[in-house]
Amino acid sequence: MRTRSAEFNPGVSSKQRKIGRRLLQLAGLLVSAIGVVFVATAASGFSQQLATPQASKTTSIPHVKCVIGLENIKPNTKGTLSLLPDGLEFATGKNKVDINTASIQDIFTGQESRQDVSGPVGTVAKAGIPYGGGRIVSLFSHNVEVLTVEYVDSNGGFHGTVFVLSPGNATVLKNQLVAQGAKVTNHVQPPPQEQKP
Amino acid sequence: MKPLSRAAFLSNFPTALGGTVLLMVASLLAQPSSLGKPGPAPQQMQKLTASAIQLERSDPPEDLLIPEDTRVATYENVILQLTKTKKFQRVYRSGDRTAASVPDLVILRLIPQAFKAGSQKQREVTTVTGATSIKVKIQFASRDGKVLREKTVEGKVRFYGENLRATYDLAKKVAAVVNETF
Repeated sequence: MRTRSAEFNPGVSSKQRKIGRRLLQLAGLLVSAIGVVFVATAASGFSQQLATPQASKTTSIPHVKCVIGLENIKPNTKGTLSLLPDGLEFATGKNKVDINTASIQDIFTGQESRQDVSGPVGTVAKAGIPYGGGRIVSLFSHNVEVLTVEYVDSNGGFHGTVFVLSPGNATVLKNQLVAQGAKVTNHVQPPPQEQKP
Repeated sequence: MKPLSRAAFLSNFPTALGGTVLLMVASLLAQPSSLGKPGPAPQQMQKLTASAIQLERSDPPEDLLIPEDTRVATYENVILQLTKTKKFQRVYRSGDRTAASVPDLVILRLIPQAFKAGSQKQREVTTVTGATSIKVKIQFASRDGKVLREKTVEGKVRFYGENLRATYDLAKKVAAVVNETF
């Protein structure tokens, strides 16, 4: 009944139209504001992506594991890998080791996966889970990138170092080292080791 | 006791013979293999002497693809284990020019023979598959190229541990061979 009265009342319908228009305007403003926020976020992210590889003088990657190969650094030590203007630097709390770009003979990158729960403590914990639950935990893994740097010392002795980094960082470092003048040769890459489940 | 009759003896003989053969086969299979496990050196094998050793890098055959991180980890692990043996006054790296002045230098070459890339996840989930293994021929040679001693060893990681742990296992076995050779 009210509907019918509203249809035949021109004053009420004009008010509803005004309210509808305002609502539409507000909705449009809201949508455009959200769009502006999205565009700004995407632009800043894109600019960061572009800026990261170009920041060659200050690239510093924390939580890098040096698997083996550096003098005075124990195997499987974690530290910060930095790109200096003249090479690489691996620093732990106590020690710091440099690899000069001119001494680098070759650089390799590769992808592997590592268990989320690993190490002696993790292994014992997994073994302690009853009914084979440790095997379920073993299914969880994450991808890592491996950076292998081959270089020579002042006597010409060959050295090799293996670093494990988070994905993407090894390739960026390799490209920056190549830009600095490090030698790299083309090699046939074997298939990735961790393709099987 | 009543002695066995001829018929009873003949009926038991195949069973006894089969059991004997099975025991012999089992004892032969139970012998420790020489591959990868440096057993006691033969008595007639004389120990070598050298004040320094140089580890040379050897490229694998063209049909054998070994990841570079595995090769580098093998090289570096062997350098560490050679130093730990304390059999030599100095352990030289491949290409070290200062090794040229050492008169009784022994050159150690690790010639890759086989490589199987496993999977840590597969090992830990199944416990029977996914092993990583690397087999190399160890060759001790004099400076003039004469081969002094050769042996094949294999490094493996079977259950727990990352794939590169196979290179640590291999280096330990190389060190054991060095200990029995020098």
